[in-house]
Amino acid sequence: MTANKYSVLNTRVHNVDGYAKVTGRATYTFDVKLPGMLYGKILRSPHPHARIISIDPTEALKLPGVKAVVTGKDTLGVKQGIWRRYPELCDEQILTIEKVRYIGEPVAAVAAITEEIAEQALDLIDVLYEVLPFVDDPMEAIKKEAPMIHEGVERNVNVTRHIEWGDVEEAFEEAEYVREDWFKLGGQAHMCMETRATVASYTSDKKLTVYTSTQSPYYHQALLAGVLGLRESDIRVIAHYVGGGFGGKFELDASQFCASVLSMKLSKPVKIVFTREEDFIATKRRTPMFYYVRTGVKKDGTFCAREARVFTNGGAYTGMGATALYLTGFFHSFPYKWKAYRYDGYRVYTNSLPSSSMRGFGAPQAMFCSEQQIDWIAADLGLDMIEIRRKNAHTTGYEVPGQATIGSCGLGQCLDRIEEWIKARGTLPKNRAIGISAAGFMTGGIFNWFDSPYSFSSAVVTINYDGVVELHVGAQDIGQGSNTTLAMICAEALGVKLENIKVHSGDTDHCPADLGAWGSRQTLMAGNAVKMAAEDAKKQLLEFASAKFGYNIIYDLDIKDNWVHNVARPERGMHYADLVKEALRGKDGQRIIGRGHYTPHRKGMISPAYSYMVQAVEAEIDAETGKLSIIHCTTAHDCGQPINTLGLIGQLEGAASMAVGYGCLENMPVEDGKVMNPNLVDYKIIRAPNMPECEIIEIDTFEPEGPYGAKEAGEGLTNPTAAALGNAIFHATGLRMKQAPIMPEMIVNAFKEKKKEGGTP
Amino acid sequence: MSLKCPVCGKLKKDPVDCARHMFGTGDKPHKAWFETQGLSYIDLLLSQATEPGNKAYIEVGELIARTQQG
Amino acid sequence: MEKQLLRFNVNDQEYELFINPKTLLVEALRDHLGFAGTKRGCDTASCGVCTVMVNGMAVKGCSVLAVQVNGMNITTVEGLEKDGKLDPVQAAFLDEGAYQCGFCTSGMIMSARAFLNETPAPKDAMEIRRGIEGNLCRCTGYNSIVRAIDAVAKGKYREGA
Repeated sequence: MTANKYSVLNTRVHNVDGYAKVTGRATYTFDVKLPGMLYGKILRSPHPHARIISIDPTEALKLPGVKAVVTGKDTLGVKQGIWRRYPELCDEQILTIEKVRYIGEPVAAVAAITEEIAEQALDLIDVLYEVLPFVDDPMEAIKKEAPMIHEGVERNVNVTRHIEWGDVEEAFEEAEYVREDWFKLGGQAHMCMETRATVASYTSDKKLTVYTSTQSPYYHQALLAGVLGLRESDIRVIAHYVGGGFGGKFELDASQFCASVLSMKLSKPVKIVFTREEDFIATKRRTPMFYYVRTGVKKDGTFCAREARVFTNGGAYTGMGATALYLTGFFHSFPYKWKAYRYDGYRVYTNSLPSSSMRGFGAPQAMFCSEQQIDWIAADLGLDMIEIRRKNAHTTGYEVPGQATIGSCGLGQCLDRIEEWIKARGTLPKNRAIGISAAGFMTGGIFNWFDSPYSFSSAVVTINYDGVVELHVGAQDIGQGSNTTLAMICAEALGVKLENIKVHSGDTDHCPADLGAWGSRQTLMAGNAVKMAAEDAKKQLLEFASAKFGYNIIYDLDIKDNWVHNVARPERGMHYADLVKEALRGKDGQRIIGRGHYTPHRKGMISPAYSYMVQAVEAEIDAETGKLSIIHCTTAHDCGQPINTLGLIGQLEGAASMAVGYGCLENMPVEDGKVMNPNLVDYKIIRAPNMPECEIIEIDTFEPEGPYGAKEAGEGLTNPTAAALGNAIFHATGLRMKQAPIMPEMIVNAFKEKKKEGGTP
Repeated sequence: MSLKCPVCGKLKKDPVDCARHMFGTGDKPHKAWFETQGLSYIDLLLSQATEPGNKAYIEVGELIARTQQG
Repeated sequence: MEKQLLRFNVNDQEYELFINPKTLLVEALRDHLGFAGTKRGCDTASCGVCTVMVNGMAVKGCSVLAVQVNGMNITTVEGLEKDGKLDPVQAAFLDEGAYQCGFCTSGMIMSARAFLNETPAPKDAMEIRRGIEGNLCRCTGYNSIVRAIDAVAKGKYREGA
């Protein structure tokens, strides 16, 4: 590894929020207590599909301690959605008025002086339903005779997406080998350690303060304004510490909406915290999908054509589902060059909990299908699994026709290093094998589906008398460490030590708008804004240094490690802290303020930059029980330029734990619209003894669009693991697993099938 | 046995391949043909995409072959 | 239900509470005494974010009633820091970045502290992993936490080390 040319970037530092987190001082929405605060609870539909005939709160209101009961009729009834630019995709009232469309959908909310009383009051609200026929299977929902879930949406198909380039038919004619396969991909719960939580406080001067566990305070500010009839600027969203998001906390949820509606009715603070069960059954989950893939290649492994058809189980409402539908089709082509490609995606409403966005955003599903089929094709043709990928890999400068230009790509080096690693492992014991998966992922999206008028990211840098830098960003830290990463970028750009940077985030009253933490966008987009702001401030500071030193105009000044100096003769200079004082006096006591912003322009259809990786998973299969032991997980990873070293390791290991869950643990069966395992006993997430050792092989490239060449790390890393695990199973046993998560019974059954057929499935 | 696509006349090498072509283009004229045969394009598409085995392609292929024979 | 008197020691301080006997230990700590460092994350005693020490033993605060610990010594995460000095486990967590969102961190640190008190020299990483098996973490994938505990066990944070 080359020596670090940066002072702050890619060094091990304490997370700027670390002290608060390890001493129990971090205050989450879960902890917020306001004077006179009431507790809210939500009454939820027991039916997957029903008309609401009447809601009678009389008995509930009689219960001592109950202060209010609200239903959809007490709201503006706005059909909202996060795809604000497309009203037809804004289909969710949250407190629904006419119909319930999934088990768990909110129909009323209570505020009371204790949580216990609010809970008791729920049982006293009398709701009359006219139960309607329901459909929870997309294959049934699309039939002519299926009940219509949303008025006017034919066959319950509410979104379709199409991606195509080249002449697919011709390319298939050229192919010398064609393989087609069908896959079934499950959903997954975000399962944040902190459930959905909000404290809303409305005061009669028409101002609303909302403490909430969110990935984007700005989105929630704007969405709440839309549904409550308030000005955005009269809503303050505060999220100092957030207990996890993973894609589930940037849409409007019932905790924010119901707490706000109740608070507006009572002019008192109202707190709503979802129970773990509510978090499982009534939030939006990873989108389950059916995948058909047909791939044509030459006998030497050159890829010719691929066509994919996908039906997704959208659940009752759209949310971010339209994005997941597009991204799954786009990333299904990644990271390879296809002569011709066609993807058709269909999103189907069903009477089950809505599906939306979860870390990976449709790509883990896409890779499970693509990367396994590639291994099967390689095996069918007697080709090496690394070589077939190398032959077709993306390269820097490649244009995905009509979709994207690849600004930087370390995929080739990733393949080389993984190939070395596999060789070094040597021969493995029986029933154990290594499976690989390549992947690439977006670094933030370019499309303004939220219809925001603001820059996608903004930053303000203000330098105090003592040299401390107040860094104001709208980017939200949800645990991924954006506060620290952005502080590091600020420190590097300004030339000061990290301890000089004080980060302000998570408060719309004090921070600029930012689209928030999703799509792995913040390091690049907010990072660019921060770099611009810091460089602006540095330039202003150096004006005073230039005047002071009076060097010949050919000499440049710079700041590094708190030392302002002549670049050619670095021993000549002054301390940063002294320059700050002089500049302040020079500006008549006004602090230097630097501003920065970033919005991608003309960067294709998806993203300004793409990360790349190849992951190798070593797994052992117990043929008797079907149980999997994951021995090791090694990832060669190209995120351009690592910024926050400990953050990067944390993202890699954390993503792997979540992706292993998707691969073989987190089964989420829904029967008759009901989530069958909405608790932490029956929904299995990985625990410490089962987590494999994870190794990271860093491949440095340089992404021109990113700050210091950086691009995403964190979401892409959830993409390859399920596929790599499937490939490990294939190489160990010859079994082709076409369903995720891969449960032990499936392996046992697959072994039985194999025995029956007497050959390879 | 090679067949012509009943909509655009393209020559395909066998009935299943012809059906594959019709689903594949998915454009309005090709979709409309399904309706004229009393079939539901979307139902067949769903079955083809979600059930292993290409039953839909086979059925549609046989239908095309029958209409071109008779 | 008639309230009961509860006397116990929390973080080296004696407290007296008059509470409903149904009150869980975690509720007494958070809602009655204001020790908000300890969290709650489930209703099935599965996640471990409510872990505290009772007479030195790691206990899920949601799985015992407050009145059951009458007369006992409770330690929460707030009690680890002594005279402004972090406990070695806390220092190790900082050095290894063994947290991300931080919601599981208080409970995880308490489990780690109790584990090391009982097993100061774990024989391998798996023993450490078993020591924190009762604590779920959705963010880190546990490995940085294991590294932090291992560093303490290996004496990196000993006085004068």
